[in-house]
Amino acid sequence: MKVSLPALIQSGRARFAVAALFAAALTFSAANASAEDASNSNSGSPISPVEEFSQQLEAFQRSVPDLSKSIQDSASTIDSVTDPEKARAEIDRLRATVSGLLGAVSDNGPVSQLGVKALDHIHIKLKALASETRYKPEERLFLTDQWRKLETETQNANRELDDARVQFAGLLQTLQQNEDFINELLEIRQAEKALEVIRHLTADIRDASTQLNKLIEGIKPPGA
Amino acid sequence: MNTTLRRGLGLAAGVVILGAAIVMFRPTREVGYIEIKTVPVASLTQTALYIDSAKLAPIKQGSAILQERVGTLRLQADGLAGSLTPLCDIVVRRNRITTVTISVLERPPRCQCRFSGSDATRACVS
Repeated sequence: MKVSLPALIQSGRARFAVAALFAAALTFSAANASAEDASNSNSGSPISPVEEFSQQLEAFQRSVPDLSKSIQDSASTIDSVTDPEKARAEIDRLRATVSGLLGAVSDNGPVSQLGVKALDHIHIKLKALASETRYKPEERLFLTDQWRKLETETQNANRELDDARVQFAGLLQTLQQNEDFINELLEIRQAEKALEVIRHLTADIRDASTQLNKLIEGIKPPGA
Repeated sequence: MNTTLRRGLGLAAGVVILGAAIVMFRPTREVGYIEIKTVPVASLTQTALYIDSAKLAPIKQGSAILQERVGTLRLQADGLAGSLTPLCDIVVRRNRITTVTISVLERPPRCQCRFSGSDATRACVS
């Protein structure tokens, strides 16, 4: 999987230029939309579901450094405490953070839903293009190729989102199971054992954080 | 368009997107998660499943993770004569995942809880 975003996107000015070009392309695409497309109540602009998905994915990716920092800070805090009760409170706080992000990428979450909507839209466009008679064959072929490219990119982004979802869920499960075990240990007054579990947990958290970073940063929003 | 104006527009767009992301990813209510696994694994589950009365989208590759409100929810499947057949109750707790496996070959499908509650509740818990 690709880990880094293209250098072009990392530059603020270049990003703006790309966004402007993309917006111009969308405008051009909108101007050429057929009357049937315009009457389609699913979207105001033909490409808007794809663009919306792409924007939300980018917004989600921007939250990754914060997530990474939050997880690493939590792991350090948990690692340094000698009071299992405080560690438990920190684990609870970390669960809330991971839960919020899992909410965005869960199957019924906003980003995943936009991914499904974007793909549906592309399929509708491809179907419509197959019977389109307004364009010359080479124009139709060009448009079909472009939509196919977007389809592949959207499918890839959705697949990578699936992987991120599984990782988030795995981390949340690790946190909740360890928290339950720590609670049981505290109930039977085994604070030393609880601290040992906490130390092992921080290693798992750090591993998961690294893995998540790679996964999310590697997602390439369609059309970007 | 001059550079300052372009930078200003770029910055404004960034602020809007970031603001939307913060609002979007912040849980606005007490929520937890249900992980539904189906066996055997299929690319798309044909059996229609419901959480309470809300129909779920077909489950892809045998697994789905759904954000749900905290509480006890009922997993159901299509039954005879258009009625819904209860499969099991699932207890959703705040910021936790409750895992349930559904055997879709059986009629009606059968729930297998990863962890079960007390004999009194007989529900899947996290």
